Amino acid sequence: MTVMTQSTGGGGGNRGSLYDVLELILDRGLVIDVFVRVSLVGIELLTVDARIVVASVDTYLRFAEACNRLDLTNNSNSSTLPELVGDMTEKGAEGKSKGALSGAAKAISEGIQKSNDDADDRRERTQSRTRGTRSTRKKDDAE
Amino acid sequence: MSTYVYAITRASHPLKVDGRTGVGERPAPLRTVRTDDLAAVVSDAPPNLRAKRRDIEAHETVMEELISDGAVLPMRFGLIAGDDTDVERALAENIRPYGALLADLAGKAEMNVKATHREDAVLGEILRADDDLRRDNDALRAAGGGDHGDRLAFGERVSAALEQRRTADAEHLLALLRPYADRERLGPPVEGAFLNVSFLVDAASRAELEATIARLRTETRWLMELNVYGPLPPYSFVDVAPYESEK
Repeated sequence: MTVMTQSTGGGGGNRGSLYDVLELILDRGLVIDVFVRVSLVGIELLTVDARIVVASVDTYLRFAEACNRLDLTNNSNSSTLPELVGDMTEKGAEGKSKGALSGAAKAISEGIQKSNDDADDRRERTQSRTRGTRSTRKKDDAE
Repeated sequence: MSTYVYAITRASHPLKVDGRTGVGERPAPLRTVRTDDLAAVVSDAPPNLRAKRRDIEAHETVMEELISDGAVLPMRFGLIAGDDTDVERALAENIRPYGALLADLAGKAEMNVKATHREDAVLGEILRADDDLRRDNDALRAAGGGDHGDRLAFGERVSAALEQRRTADAEHLLALLRPYADRERLGPPVEGAFLNVSFLVDAASRAELEATIARLRTETRWLMELNVYGPLPPYSFVDVAPYESEK
């Protein structure tokens, strides 16, 4: 099952699966008040779960352990990170520093093409299908 | 037999529903309910309908087929009218707001963008940006992880810093992407994603939005997973409230 299988011409489009936009089909869309709506109790509870999971004891412990494991001195991105940190905390696209995001915006304005975008996109899509615990959980519930 | 409603279109929409089916264990044949100006695509409502994968897929597939032929107001999944007459009455009572909304949506589609941090990368960013956190992390590590209370307190501070970072990165992405959109609407929170937003775009803006996202994805791949889904039926942009005065 794909959502809107129309080609996106190698841009940033992602055919994805139904479950990547499930919350839109279930929580958005036109409602007519006088009509009845089927119960979606189980699925709506999962959405609430997603909100509270950020602030739980398990999460705190996991973050602490993950931070302990990190090696901050040996990181291939470290040369660009100080600039990126400053840039990412600025609001808007007009940051003066050369962080990754404003760098990207600059590249866009200059119309620079990267021939490997398409291949990268495909890899990314494959990756994203194998990730996504939300999708899996919703899938299980909806089956 | 009650009536399941998929979508509302203008009466002039080609409405190629012959031979098509919708929700249900035995997929129900689609049919239309029409007024002079509007049409609804409906089927018999199956008994005991729930949000099963099969039925959500059927709902979405009907939408995909309709939207390739013209503007559509997609209904939320699972909307059931008493019968076809109720649908006809709803169309008649809302001709002006639905008509105005359909006119505004013509030629436009919804693009949904989700961004999720790669956990190790964003935690590294947070530690690099905060001397206190970095020092305490070193101390905990030196103490073999520290005791439960220390780890919990440290993790809570990391969590707070992460929440700030999520907000900042979401605002930054929005600032970069919203210039391409006619309208934007934040989506419901979904697990993991620090940004879930839908944009309403025309075809030209859509291409620019996709190109921008493709480049952002390359630049920020080490830090986040950035995905765009669409073109979708405009689920997030069918709020009729602004058009109610035209009733």
